[in-house]
Amino acid sequence: MLTAVTGPKAGKADSLGERRADFPLLRDAELGRALHYLDNAATTQKPESVIAAISECYREFNAPIHRGLYPLAEEATRRYEQARATVAGFIGAPLAEQLVFTHSATEAINMVAYGWARPRLTPGERIWVTRMEHHANLLPWQRVCRERGAELRVIELGEDGSLDWQAAAGLFDSRTRLISLCHVSNVLGVENPVQAVCARASAEGIPVLVDAAQSVAHTRVNATALGCDFLAFSAHKMYGPTGIGALYAKPARLEEMEPLLVGGGMVDQVTVAAASWAKSPERFEAGSPNLAGAAGFAAAVEYLTGLGMDAIHAHVSRLTRQAVAALAEVPGLRLIPERSVERSAIVSFVIDGVHPHDLAQVAGEQGVALRAGHHCCQPLMQHLGVAATTRASVAVYNSAADIEALLRAIDTARRLFA
Amino acid sequence: MAAEGLYKEVLLDHFRHPRNKGELTGADTVRRGSNPRCGDDIEVGVFLRGDRLESVRFRGRGCSICIASSSLMTEAVTGTSLTEARHLCEAMQSWFGQGDGAQVAEPPRDLEALSAVRDYPARRRCVLLSWEALHDALAAL
Repeated sequence: MLTAVTGPKAGKADSLGERRADFPLLRDAELGRALHYLDNAATTQKPESVIAAISECYREFNAPIHRGLYPLAEEATRRYEQARATVAGFIGAPLAEQLVFTHSATEAINMVAYGWARPRLTPGERIWVTRMEHHANLLPWQRVCRERGAELRVIELGEDGSLDWQAAAGLFDSRTRLISLCHVSNVLGVENPVQAVCARASAEGIPVLVDAAQSVAHTRVNATALGCDFLAFSAHKMYGPTGIGALYAKPARLEEMEPLLVGGGMVDQVTVAAASWAKSPERFEAGSPNLAGAAGFAAAVEYLTGLGMDAIHAHVSRLTRQAVAALAEVPGLRLIPERSVERSAIVSFVIDGVHPHDLAQVAGEQGVALRAGHHCCQPLMQHLGVAATTRASVAVYNSAADIEALLRAIDTARRLFA
Repeated sequence: MAAEGLYKEVLLDHFRHPRNKGELTGADTVRRGSNPRCGDDIEVGVFLRGDRLESVRFRGRGCSICIASSSLMTEAVTGTSLTEARHLCEAMQSWFGQGDGAQVAEPPRDLEALSAVRDYPARRRCVLLSWEALHDALAAL
């Protein structure tokens, strides 16, 4: 299903090579600065090939999608559907039509909440999420549960940040209508055993939504192998453009789902009084599709495929372990969680006497881009007993030099405040 | 380093050794300011004698800017009349106001140390938190 790979040639599984040069925003010598970008869990930088694909769209094949009968419009439609096939193939969707382009992962989750869950949720039923969810995978469920008289339940965490199955009594019973959980936590960096959850849930006939926003960029994600009913992710966290994301769903779930937006391009027949919907995925893509976004999204997927997901995973895992080992030596620094089996590209921490915002500010002045705050995970912060953390997150273009710069920034901040 | 421009020595001193920080028992009124975005949470207590602020104290947690601003605030308003204190609150909100923040050219007295923070819009709220709590406290009197 993947189209021809145009990204860099795949390296050895443990050697990604120097990838910084692929990213115009990181060409420090040209730009006259030194940037240590460690805010990749928020958004990644874009390689030349993605920027070129977006530019190429507007220069060479921009036209209406699914609407024009002239050659240029047919080419635009072909490119858009080719992008769908590329992205669908990347996450292991059996059919390209199982992938709906959305504006974001957030929109993808809202689509399921409003289009699928709300019409079939009955009072007393339950939707389960976890304590570590991003607000994007919490608030839609809060809202539909409140509207439908259903109950929102939370899988709590053990000390190492893993999900506490013992405490999640009734998770797989007949009252559970849906389980929605992240693949990788955007704060803790822990990877949840989503495949096992899907297997167990599937045996009980319970659909599962996986929020893969924090895993797709550096972990092999195969929706078919995971066995999930829904999978949500966004392009901009995987080297693609902002403003486009995707929802994968099993065909049966798509058939059950009502569109969130109605309007042009998603209808079959319309009279003044009524309308019938087009088939999926057009049914869920009202309005003019984001052609340039889709082209950039596909180029990002091709970039990742070209590097090889195993090589990427090995690279970010090695850097993450380096960061964890170095940070653990810093006096007064506490990793969040303190112990964890494995962190996936993300390390959160707090430092005695240094507020996360002060640290991020000082680091920023030294060219180190970090994230400080609650990371859109206030219930998790309440559980951890902290108001905010500082987070460093790595990507393909990071190196040991970035970790060293992080440590220097922490040292400066500690001397200033602690 | 530009951050050292933000973190003036006066600010760091007020952060490391905050003035008038502690219990608020016996205050005539106490009001709270909190910013869930960063977890800053400050309570301000006003102790009156007649129509003057005999002392103003605060307690809570926050970043260096928030703590230093709270500390500077308590010094700036101690001994002022209610009217003067209200005017100072308004001047601060104007000085750090929304938009370009340039409505007031001169900083309110003794608060020049906070001036650099005006160049960091993301941190303005850290400065204003305790001032908003004071404003609410004065409004309640």
